[in-house]
Amino acid sequence: MIRLSQIRKSFGRNEVLKGIDLAVEKGEVVAILGPSGSGKTTLLRCINYLERPSDGEIAIGDLRVPCRHPSKQDIHRLRGKTAMVFQQYNLFKHKTALENVMEGLVVVQKVPKDEARRRSAELLEKVGLGQKLDAYPSQLSGGQQQRVGIARALALNPEVILFDEPTSALDPELVGEVLAVIRKIAKEGITMIIVTHEMGFAQDVASRVVFMDQGAIVEEGSPKELFRSPKEERTRQFLQRITPESVYSI
Amino acid sequence: MSAHFDIAYVFDYFVKLLPYLRITAVIVACSLAIGLGVGLLVALPRMYRVPVLQRFSQVYVSFFRGTPILIQLFLFYYGLPEVLKSVHLDVSKVPSLYFVVFVYSLHTGAFLSEAIRGAVGAVDRGQVEAAYAVGMKGYQAFARIVLPQALGIAIPVFANLIIAVLKDTSLAFSLGTMELTGKAQTLPTISQHFFEAYLSLALIYFLICFALEKLLAALERRMLRHEARPAAETRAARGRKWLNRRFPAGLDLPKEGARS
Repeated sequence: MIRLSQIRKSFGRNEVLKGIDLAVEKGEVVAILGPSGSGKTTLLRCINYLERPSDGEIAIGDLRVPCRHPSKQDIHRLRGKTAMVFQQYNLFKHKTALENVMEGLVVVQKVPKDEARRRSAELLEKVGLGQKLDAYPSQLSGGQQQRVGIARALALNPEVILFDEPTSALDPELVGEVLAVIRKIAKEGITMIIVTHEMGFAQDVASRVVFMDQGAIVEEGSPKELFRSPKEERTRQFLQRITPESVYSI
Repeated sequence: MSAHFDIAYVFDYFVKLLPYLRITAVIVACSLAIGLGVGLLVALPRMYRVPVLQRFSQVYVSFFRGTPILIQLFLFYYGLPEVLKSVHLDVSKVPSLYFVVFVYSLHTGAFLSEAIRGAVGAVDRGQVEAAYAVGMKGYQAFARIVLPQALGIAIPVFANLIIAVLKDTSLAFSLGTMELTGKAQTLPTISQHFFEAYLSLALIYFLICFALEKLLAALERRMLRHEARPAAETRAARGRKWLNRRFPAGLDLPKEGARS
């Protein structure tokens, strides 16, 4: 359903993505792991064109975007089919939790305000923030802000949600609540691509794990294969350095 | 020498001057409204680094910030008709008020463009990315996400500017526009009670500025209501903050800035 073909990206002379091929089927939860600087966040940001790939092709459903000459409309459509959850939450600071979730529905999808409000309130309820509809981001903890971010992404009803290290900026005691929410929506069959450093979580929630290093995919497979018996030496070294400290659960 | 001080004249002139507040208000309101548009237009090429326009913006801003407004008034009042004559446009019959509004608009626009540029830069880039990720187009992200927050951030600067412009309108008299100051200078020609006239004039300016400051502080609180405030913020603390607001650390626009 999502097909990335030969995605390349350079910053100046530094080539950070060296021709990535990746296919994600509907309902899959793909975790991307790798050391910092391996290009995993860049790859994720290329999928909704927050970063412009220099070459390759992105296909989601029946939309095919040639990265060398994308039209503005292509990029706009691509963003319409994807949603993103950011490391720094990036909530709209002048809007309440409810307004943050409504914004995309009303402005982009032209959903009538009443309906948007109803749907948004439901989603906030779902991520456990039914009591915080009218709170501004500054009045919420990091974990709560990130859950609003997840509700905002869900509201758009995208074909895929991209998670960019959703728990890296959180205090350790707040990580659990966010992972619990992600786990919950993963069970509903929403397609997700998650860049993460939470090994336990990846092992637990992902249907497939992709290991990247130096701008290329080194190895991919089921969490079981990759964590228990990695084929590549680089994967093995990486996993040895980062042993799962704990597995978060609700 | 002028006549002995007589408080009755202060009241008398105060009442007589009030109707001329209208002209002053018109100059301030028009120049702020037009200036806001101009300021935004001028700020855009610099924010988005548009090659040639960016240079024009810079020259425009440094001219209006770097020359006294009195000189600007004279330059345009005497210079513009000459320039327009060459394209067969006769503006000699146009009232001086129009020139005044024209110059003040450009002047305010220059200062506002700097304020807008600074404030827009202060809204974090991540929110713009989030807006794009949600599917917004560039202008939607700017109008719905960046601008409302930037305006909130810029309000203290706007407040200073509004008050500076209000006081600067007293120079419009030099082109013969009959606003507050102009009237205050002509009212006492018979009675010779000049001091009383200036006293009531000062009183009027002060009262308006004072009211404006209060109003804008309230507006600022409203625009920035999304920012966390410590729950225990007392009235006294707010009062101190209100005083400190005039010398904000990062904003390079002191109260008298618009005059120089």
